[in-house]
Amino acid sequence: MVNPILLIIIPLGTAFLISTLASALKNTTKYLALLALLANVWISISLLPEVLQRPINVIIAGVKPPVGINLFVGPLGAVFSVIISIAGVLILLYSFKYIEGEQQHKYYTLFLLLITGSHGMILTGDVFNLFVFFEILAISSYILVGYAGDKNGFEAAVKYLILGSIGSIFILVAIALIYEGTGTLNMADLAGKFSTLDPARRLMILVFFITGMGVEAAVFPLNSWLPDAHSSAPSSISAVLSGFVIEIALVVIIKFVYTIFAMTEVLGFLAVAGVITLLVGEFAAFRQSNIKRVLAYSSIGQIGLILFAMSLNSKAGINAGMMQIINHTASKSILFLTAGYMIVKTGSYQFSDYRGIAKKMPVSSFFFVLGVLSLLGVPPFFGFFSKLNIIIAALHAGGAFYITMVFLVLLGTIIESIYFLKILQVFYARDTAILDVKEAPFLPLLSIALFSLVILLGFLFLPQITSYTGNIASELVTKLQMAQVF
Amino acid sequence: MRKFISILLLAGFVFYFATLAGGLMIPSSSADRKSVGLEILSRAKGETGAANAVTSVVVLYRGFDTLGEVTVLFLAALGISVFMKGTGEKRKTVLDQSFILKTGSRLLFPLMFLFGIYIIAHGHLTPGGGFPGGVIIATGFFVILLTSESVHFNKTVMSVLEGLAGLSFIGLGVVGLLGPGNSFLQNFLPLGKFDTVFSAGIIPLIYAVVGIKVGAELSSVVYAMKESK
Repeated sequence: MVNPILLIIIPLGTAFLISTLASALKNTTKYLALLALLANVWISISLLPEVLQRPINVIIAGVKPPVGINLFVGPLGAVFSVIISIAGVLILLYSFKYIEGEQQHKYYTLFLLLITGSHGMILTGDVFNLFVFFEILAISSYILVGYAGDKNGFEAAVKYLILGSIGSIFILVAIALIYEGTGTLNMADLAGKFSTLDPARRLMILVFFITGMGVEAAVFPLNSWLPDAHSSAPSSISAVLSGFVIEIALVVIIKFVYTIFAMTEVLGFLAVAGVITLLVGEFAAFRQSNIKRVLAYSSIGQIGLILFAMSLNSKAGINAGMMQIINHTASKSILFLTAGYMIVKTGSYQFSDYRGIAKKMPVSSFFFVLGVLSLLGVPPFFGFFSKLNIIIAALHAGGAFYITMVFLVLLGTIIESIYFLKILQVFYARDTAILDVKEAPFLPLLSIALFSLVILLGFLFLPQITSYTGNIASELVTKLQMAQVF
Repeated sequence: MRKFISILLLAGFVFYFATLAGGLMIPSSSADRKSVGLEILSRAKGETGAANAVTSVVVLYRGFDTLGEVTVLFLAALGISVFMKGTGEKRKTVLDQSFILKTGSRLLFPLMFLFGIYIIAHGHLTPGGGFPGGVIIATGFFVILLTSESVHFNKTVMSVLEGLAGLSFIGLGVVGLLGPGNSFLQNFLPLGKFDTVFSAGIIPLIYAVVGIKVGAELSSVVYAMKESK
């Protein structure tokens, strides 16, 4: 058996190694980062079949939980590790050409630490350890947002830093209250002990935790940092942040609500919050003229949709939400990565300046269209199946309430399709503006093409994918596997 | 309209806390509950061999968190060096401090350095350890930097030290992973005689690398801030 802890210590160790060798290796540090992430891809994929048989419980420092820290790799952790490693390696490949300059070893160090934090947050079985990895993830994303060093990036990074820090204080207070009340920090142990707390105290912990994590997950009204941060960051980082960072925070909220807090009565509230987030995101995206802001607001809309699906309190809902996460990771990464080179080549963020760009950058434009179609849920792309599943799950939940919600979700999709088609219309306009631009280099295009394989061929592997996501759904809803830690 | 919205938001915030305040009013009844902390206190001495129970928690029971916290500090230092990446230009006026300050700080520096090492080396016996010890060493550098304008560090040495210390932390953990216990960060050394400097297995070693890392990081943060405009 490969030890899952390697998923955390390989990128972390490589980050330290790059820091040690930076002055000797100069600009070849990126190959070290690539090696580390390729190792992660291999480890996470080889873990998948094992975890489906039986979740893996890794004990750290030889001390059994609840006294020590453990990693708990269930289907959720294993599938998310695969998403993080594959998206990470592809975006890293894109960065090879996209990120230049003397300081680039710092970029790769930060990138590896971001991956470390992501794996840690999703794999850990301990509440405080979750907070530590949350900090690693959050701080590395603050820095990466401002990495380019321009005024907008710096402003966005500081904004993100302030809101993110307030969020992490909320999480820390929630964790302190948990420990004060139950005397334990282990998730599986907590799942049994949390219900012994007073209901008012439980509500307080729940609200603090959701508020804190909600900042990172960009749930309305805690998402005011996102449009700035995701649009001012380097495009590769926008893809990372939209692709899996906000989803990780969201999934942690959902995991806590279902398994640890076991307060499914708040799910109705979360579903409404999700739909409001969806509508706010889509309406705001509709009015933007900066292409990266459109994509950033669209991410808010998508996170709302995922939150709605996962709060349906049914296996079908979580299953559909997980599929939508996979779809969003692939399609939003494609969109941000293609937009990145359009911005570099034209020197403009306004998509109205891209008239007829499809003639000059045909490959990029083609992938952009693919990303849009899958995001909108056009058959036979992967996004169609995930959105269809969400709607079916919501209708199964039944009642006038959920039917209204489905109506609002569809309304959001219509708005989404209007503004995306507006952009595509500009791209494929017949009257070419005086654009003297060239196609993006090969390596970034290769990374985008590999992402598009997911949404193109996803429907061929639907049974396999749903078997994994279905296992995640039963892990969360039945809480059965939590018991296997002891 | 703006005023109205801000009043609405404020009212919502007050309502939010008023609803939650109930959670704070409940008297704490954790005394009768079995807590992890109490269990650690009862078994730390025999299990870790560290006279300082807090250290046994920080380095062994929750050593993985400490690795994360060291990484957070590393990130913070890295962030400062990214955002303050040298403007390159040297300041024109060099304010050299008085002779007394300069000599005093140079006299003070070795003492502070030695004290920092003492705090790190006795982390498993007395209050202290890698974090405070590292801070004391960095303060020594800070005093030197504040008083003498002409002092220059070798940044490369600093970043190599940081990286190597981090790598050794992980390396110590991996030895445990490869050892018979097959667990990351497991104590693989003999516990030694209780309450002596050479005891508690890998705890002093981990604290030593933490101390080096914290000292190097904080010193380079101070240096980066001094160098930037």
